Amino acid sequence: MKKRLLKKSGIAELVAKLAKRAGVFAPVDNEGNTLFQKVIDANSIAKQYVNSKDAPKGFFFPHSETLMRYKRTDKGMELEDDQVAQTKRILFGVRPCDARSFELLDLLFNQEKYSDTYFVSKRENTTVIVNACVEPISKNCFCTSLGLSPTGSAGADILMLDLGEEIFVEFITPKGEALLDCFGDMEPSATIDVQAVRERAATLVDASVPCREIKTTLDNIYEHPLWESIAQKCLACGTCTYLCPTCHCFDISDEVKGDDGARIRNWDSCMFPLFTKETSGHNPRSTQKARWRQRTMHKFKYFVDNFNEVLCVGCGRCVAYCPVNIDIREVVKSVAKI
Amino acid sequence: MGNDYTPIPVEIAKITTEVDTKDIKTFRFAFVNKADEEKFQYRPGQFGELSIFGKGESPIGIASSPTQKGFVEFTVQKAGVVTSALHAMEEGMRMGIRGPLGNSWPIEELQGKNVVIVGGGFAFTTLRSLINYVIDDANRKNFGKVTVVYGARNPGLLLYKDELKTWAERGDINLNVTVDKGDASWKGREGFVPTVCKEVAPSPENAVALICGPPIMIRFTLPVFFDLKFSKENIITSLEARMKCGIGKCGRCNVGSKYICKDGPVFTFAELSKLSPEY
Ligand SMILES: Cc1cc2nc3c(=O)[nH]c(=O)nc-3n(C[C@H](O)[C@H](O)[C@H](O)COP(=O)(O)OP(=O)(O)OC[C@H]3O[C@@H](n4cnc5c(N)ncnc54)[C@H](O)[C@@H]3O)c2cc1C
Ligand code: SF4
Ligand code: SF4
Ligand code: FES
Repeated sequence: MKKRLLKKSGIAELVAKLAKRAGVFAPVDNEGNTLFQKVIDANSIAKQYVNSKDAPKGFFFPHSETLMRYKRTDKGMELEDDQVAQTKRILFGVRPCDARSFELLDLLFNQEKYSDTYFVSKRENTTVIVNACVEPISKNCFCTSLGLSPTGSAGADILMLDLGEEIFVEFITPKGEALLDCFGDMEPSATIDVQAVRERAATLVDASVPCREIKTTLDNIYEHPLWESIAQKCLACGTCTYLCPTCHCFDISDEVKGDDGARIRNWDSCMFPLFTKETSGHNPRSTQKARWRQRTMHKFKYFVDNFNEVLCVGCGRCVAYCPVNIDIREVVKSVAKI
Repeated sequence: MGNDYTPIPVEIAKITTEVDTKDIKTFRFAFVNKADEEKFQYRPGQFGELSIFGKGESPIGIASSPTQKGFVEFTVQKAGVVTSALHAMEEGMRMGIRGPLGNSWPIEELQGKNVVIVGGGFAFTTLRSLINYVIDDANRKNFGKVTVVYGARNPGLLLYKDELKTWAERGDINLNVTVDKGDASWKGREGFVPTVCKEVAPSPENAVALICGPPIMIRFTLPVFFDLKFSKENIITSLEARMKCGIGKCGRCNVGSKYICKDGPVFTFAELSKLSPEY
């Protein structure tokens, strides 16, 4: 694996070089929130951030996306355009948990039968540069509970690790290596102890949530009072699912103006009562209890049944932003106690 | 790479109003591009997303049989936005189909078996596809006895009336059409589907039962088949759920870890008994 050492003072030059290759998107401080935005120079990139508020899954699976356009003809509305824009992008400063979420979403969207061309082509056109979590690490983070590492390279094309004065850079994939020349030519000396930094970072993260272990319990508790007790507080606002880097549910709708129309897909949420409501009025998940059960089961059982992976990366966003403080870690721990 | 969200362009070749209440129509579509017709290889029990730009899409079971060439048919009840828009369309107009989607009736496993087909209301559509497939000249010899129980609330609500007549004239189907309540001109059977199944009493010997209908019909029909000693493995149904993508991505149509759109809609009751009872 190719490696480089980059002086912190060299970041401005690096970002300028990257921006010549493709649009660069990085976490930016925006009125109190850290959000992924297009950057032209390194100055606008957030200096200190735990993670962006918005999960970068949105670069591949946008909140709202036009799938196709159509036009009125004398035989009805007919297709005009269903092409996916092929724009090259670089995501700079993705956290390891979020990069891992891309791999999980790949499992769903990029299957042999039925691959989602909108998701897949954006993935192919994007290079992911991960900024490993050394510090600060939030009390809400629990990636290690999922067998991940705050300095892990799952889903990364390039991994950057902050050593204080310098940044240690690893080129994980050929796509990452294609940007090697932007990172200068200083190779790290063998004496640099990256391992120690990695091990220390891992100790800062909560590894006590039995996210993978609860599967066998979930197999048997479709009916259980726990679901009602979690759901009682829930407002069905959907915040947890919208911020989640792994939630992938969506709706498709049509919008027409005059003779032109578009078919659009928007994020949807299993927390919403109408999500499963049929035209007849029948709703297989008619209570918030059933919907919370779905959210838990989908992440920690169904996705494991289908892909042998848990559909959570321990980013802690749902924990941090739930308006009524429902904590997925507590849910998992409660299941484990059953 | 193909785009699984792009509908295949079709033209409405023929519209048949099926029922007296006029809210169920069969739409026959012809493919605008010949190549699409070749590609649209389907099996009885599969469905398509009928797509009307500007309105949306609805998952609808394929009512024609793959043995019928040159077109594909869907029987649609007027319900909400998309199906109402469809009912307002005329022959010659263009729209789209995505599909074929989902698994299908297990036609390979049915070979050499006695096939018992039970349908109620307008859920009969994909069973009609299966019947036409089974009785096709080239296929009939591959299947054993064919028993059909089909019921509607009243004679006016029976689908495919002409076809029912031709099936009745064939010697190789035991066809039992019933209505909950007949009218002055009705000379056929009266009675609910479960009751008729009990009377017809198909043997479980080397047999598979395929049952589709409103939930209440299924609820009362299942015990009849269990009493007849059909096993859960040999009772098969087709499920519905609200759908959008139809290809296992949008996350809304799951029962447990299975997506009805992709892993279903056809399941045996043995399979369903292992999944979350969420449908
Ligand atoms: C596998 C399958 C086969 C079906 N076969 C038939 C058939 O042969 N004939 C028939 O008349 N109906 C069938 N249905 C039901 C039919 O899909 C709904 O009645 C239809 O989608 C209602 O759409 P709408 O736009 O008119 O209603 P609206 O209430 O306006 O619905 C809006 C959207 O919600 C979704 N939706 C709502 N209800 C359902 C539902 N019950 N099932 C799936 N999606 C839903 C659709 O995407 C629909 O476009 C089938 C459903 C499934 C899942
Ligand atoms: S469930 Fe919560 S902690 Fe897990 S990935 Fe989603 S937002 Fe992050
Ligand atoms: S963020 Fe909290 S209140 Fe909102 S839907 Fe999720 S669990 Fe319910
Ligand atoms: S309809 Fe989208 S997952 Fe089944």
